[in-house]
Amino acid sequence: MNAAVSSSVTSPSLHVLTPLIVFMVIAVLLFGGALLVAYLISPKAPSRQKSMIYECGEIPVGTAWSMFNVRFYVIGLVFIVFDVETALLIPVASVYRTLVAEGQGLYVFIILISFMAVIIEGLAYLWKKGDLDWVKSYKK
Amino acid sequence: MSANETVIDHLLQFEFFQKISTAIGSQIGVSHIWVWYMVALILVAAVITGILAAVGGFGTYAERKISADIQGRFGPNRVGPYGLFQVIADGLKMIGKEDISPNESDKFLFYLAPFLCIFGVVATFAVLPFSAGLTLSKTNVGIYYVVAISSLVGLGIFIAGYASNSKWSLLGGMRGASQIISYEIPVTLSIMSILLLSGGLSFEDILANQTAWPAGWYIFHNPFTFIGFFVYFVSVLAETNRAPFDLPEAESELVSGYHTEYTGMRYGLFALAEYMEVFVVCGLAATLFLGGYHVPFDIGKGTIFGDILQIGTFFAKTLGLYYVVIWVRWTFPRLRVDHLMSICWKYLTPIALFNLLGVSVWILFFDGKSILDLFLSAISSGPVGH
Amino acid sequence: MLPEIVLLFSAFMVFLGGILLISTKNLMHSCIFLLMCLFGVAGVYASLGAEFLAVTQIIVYIGGIVILMLFAVMLTGGKEFISRLHKVLNLAPLMGDKSTYMKGSIVGLIIFGGLSAFFYQLLKVLPLKEQQVSDYKIIGHSLLTDNLLAFELSSFLLLGALIGAAIIAKPEKVSESKPTDI
Repeated sequence: MNAAVSSSVTSPSLHVLTPLIVFMVIAVLLFGGALLVAYLISPKAPSRQKSMIYECGEIPVGTAWSMFNVRFYVIGLVFIVFDVETALLIPVASVYRTLVAEGQGLYVFIILISFMAVIIEGLAYLWKKGDLDWVKSYKK
Repeated sequence: MSANETVIDHLLQFEFFQKISTAIGSQIGVSHIWVWYMVALILVAAVITGILAAVGGFGTYAERKISADIQGRFGPNRVGPYGLFQVIADGLKMIGKEDISPNESDKFLFYLAPFLCIFGVVATFAVLPFSAGLTLSKTNVGIYYVVAISSLVGLGIFIAGYASNSKWSLLGGMRGASQIISYEIPVTLSIMSILLLSGGLSFEDILANQTAWPAGWYIFHNPFTFIGFFVYFVSVLAETNRAPFDLPEAESELVSGYHTEYTGMRYGLFALAEYMEVFVVCGLAATLFLGGYHVPFDIGKGTIFGDILQIGTFFAKTLGLYYVVIWVRWTFPRLRVDHLMSICWKYLTPIALFNLLGVSVWILFFDGKSILDLFLSAISSGPVGH
Repeated sequence: MLPEIVLLFSAFMVFLGGILLISTKNLMHSCIFLLMCLFGVAGVYASLGAEFLAVTQIIVYIGGIVILMLFAVMLTGGKEFISRLHKVLNLAPLMGDKSTYMKGSIVGLIIFGGLSAFFYQLLKVLPLKEQQVSDYKIIGHSLLTDNLLAFELSSFLLLGALIGAAIIAKPEKVSESKPTDI
């Protein structure tokens, strides 16, 4: 807590991160406040029937936490691969135009193409193997 | 950054505001300009969140009114003129409802899930470019930050589905999570094709090369960005669980999907998060492809009047897209879950990859000029145009 | 001043998330605490001025890895699995009695000491200043020049991951015995 920043209101680090944090705090406080108000004024009359899990009016059978299809996991894996790919491509893509203006366009373009070709190859492989179908057909 | 450029700087000039801030500062005992800045920031942030929450609330009203219009009904028309106060009535009712959580649910996750959703949406408001002066954070990763933080919404939906311990919820949550992460890929790839043109992730960079007139928008820059806009738009419909991609909350098969067990205000947070997220993605679409907040001739640039004009432009474009989103919902039937996945992985992702390559080829061959520039230069150089 | 606050708060989040992550026996809850931990790491990056890295951390780890882990837990059958294997989990390292905790914390302290001695040397060299140029542009330039081979090879790594995903999902011997026509 010092007065060192008093000379400039707009210190860059203050500018970039502060609003993000302010909004994150507001998100929690404002909507937490709404929940608090709801908690204070809402009626509370719990009953066994109310706190039962909804299963179309019947008494629920078993738990919902059961094994799930492996398809979801595969979708997750493919997503992460593409996510990492975009994370790697974004830095390159952001300098692409300036490098084209500097006359190195073809060089960067070839790098870009060769990177993406490998990924597209992977996508094509999955497609051919039927892993992009939701219901995988096991027919050869 | 020079003074008097942002809305916050304008706010700092008011004497009344300075008095309040100094009073607060003397209470805490810190440097007053810092306090001024913080108070102004918190004030503006609270106002933005409030306004966007109201926009989200009126989204439900607009949805019902527009659907009624499409189906030849009246829609809500009892509370207030044209039923405008329906939103307030709904909100009050939601707050007054009993908050029920199932006995067998995972309580910790059950209470956490709505917060994850709302957090993921509200945190993105910090970088949304409402106007040149009202882009609160000028972080240089702007658009990527929005994509990243809003992935928390998908997590919140999954957690909500899991924690409820209801079969409907779990199915909805699993569908929601897998759908959201799948459709994030075409969205990111479409954004990347814009990034190739803009050369920077911040909204300043993205808007720098666009103009107020449609000819200068990125959507009309070249044929690939034109396709890219539609890839982006379809994908964000799926990412925000809007029809025809609303499988996580498909009411005809899953009761209410991931928020089946939620009541009262907790349900309200999910609904609000969904409608606000639609606003955010429409705002992004307007910024990325449709020229954002640019006003013709830069009227009133740097003044508070210019900022109001720019905010108006941004909201007009965004709400226009919002209308299209609702329109789409009441026009197309819901997709089947396997179709959903094949649209994402077999159509949108390859098209987005193709667009990415297309834009890079375009930049390479035409030096980043837009199609209009090329057309104009062709006319001016040769005596015979096309 | 703010970056320091964010740094400390994020570090606290990492610490707290890590402690909660290993101390809870509910797998779903540990995933959520992992999220907290990873968010803290992103906060540390952001406070040091590496915004692109922070955002990548969020998008890849929180948006991807945590969801993948949740899916993986769903593959095992969630809570039912835990109740079934409760005894086994109690026997497992770091989930059991006090002696395993003791051993674990001694090993952890040794690793922590070694790593911090290493990083202290590194931190003295590194300039911890905020960069005005966008960090991803620097990364982009270096990926295209000095680290070109790593960039291109990473695409093959990703290809391998995609093929691995296909192999994981391969049904066991279903195709040979009888093709189901779903």
